[in-house]
Amino acid sequence: MNFVQPTPGTDNHPVVVTRVSPTQWHAVEDDLTVGRGVASRRPDGRLFVSVDAWHGAVFDRVADAMLTDLSTPLYTLVDETDHDSRSAWERAGFTTARREWGYLVPTDPRTTGLASVRPPSGVTVVAAGEAEEEPLRALDRVVRDEVEATVGWRTMPAEVLPRPAGTTVLDPSKHAVARHGHEYVGLVRVAPLTRQPRIGLIAVRADRQRRGIARALLAHALGSLHMSGTASAWAEVDESNAAATALFESSGARRAACTLELVRR
Amino acid sequence: MTKTAGGVEAEGTVTECLRNATFKVELQNGHTVLAHISGKIRKNRIKILPYDRVLVELSPYDLTRGRIRYRYRA
Repeated sequence: MNFVQPTPGTDNHPVVVTRVSPTQWHAVEDDLTVGRGVASRRPDGRLFVSVDAWHGAVFDRVADAMLTDLSTPLYTLVDETDHDSRSAWERAGFTTARREWGYLVPTDPRTTGLASVRPPSGVTVVAAGEAEEEPLRALDRVVRDEVEATVGWRTMPAEVLPRPAGTTVLDPSKHAVARHGHEYVGLVRVAPLTRQPRIGLIAVRADRQRRGIARALLAHALGSLHMSGTASAWAEVDESNAAATALFESSGARRAACTLELVRR
Repeated sequence: MTKTAGGVEAEGTVTECLRNATFKVELQNGHTVLAHISGKIRKNRIKILPYDRVLVELSPYDLTRGRIRYRYRA
């Protein structure tokens, strides 16, 4: 238990920060919970923390208690426009590790300009729900291996995690694929959320990139959403992913949010 | 409204997404509060949009301010 001196902005009543479980901290003032901290480990092993408090001083106390109890590195996410949260985490020693854009992607071909986009010669797009599971799984393994061998999934909003070969869970109803001959060479995954579908992943095998396959997959996915009456979709792109940024921005997508991943090492 | 260990909670509907990651939420009692999202919601990348039904924890210091703790399924 960590007793804290009277806190500015809280009527000079002492705030007590307690670790109530291995992953939770509570700040209590006069029997009222005025702050909470939560830590959770991502499947990739990284420890993410969050603090909710009504006052900056309480935030600092909860963060201090968590930092004392937990070993670094620690990660958190903040909205770039949430200046209060960002500066609170910076006071706790966190710095920006990466930035990702949230894109609002229109589906209307008149806005996207993708109506005339066709796959490159020899490539066809197989609609979601029509892809065969085994070649889809083979493509998924290739894409995972390529990403893990290069930039790694840590920089990917998609948060796709490595899994042992053969145990990959894939839902063909969410994947449209690009086929060349008998081989699948690219995929787009769309989560069909009722309020706003999310484009979760667009990936093309490294040896087939820069031929317009990703653009054709995006055109197909957005066209399908438009036909079903959906006006826009959502996508998240890491700032450093120049190819993905160019693909979305040239398709009429606009930046609607910015999330920062902060780290304390 | 419900009094919980963490304060007063109320259900409401998001009416507007504002800058600085804040939202206007109309509570069931007709009051409107300015709310931001909880760290847990941000960590889990849960997106809040207008017309979403949400659970808001009201600030014990200012009942016009709150924190969105949960988004109900549409």
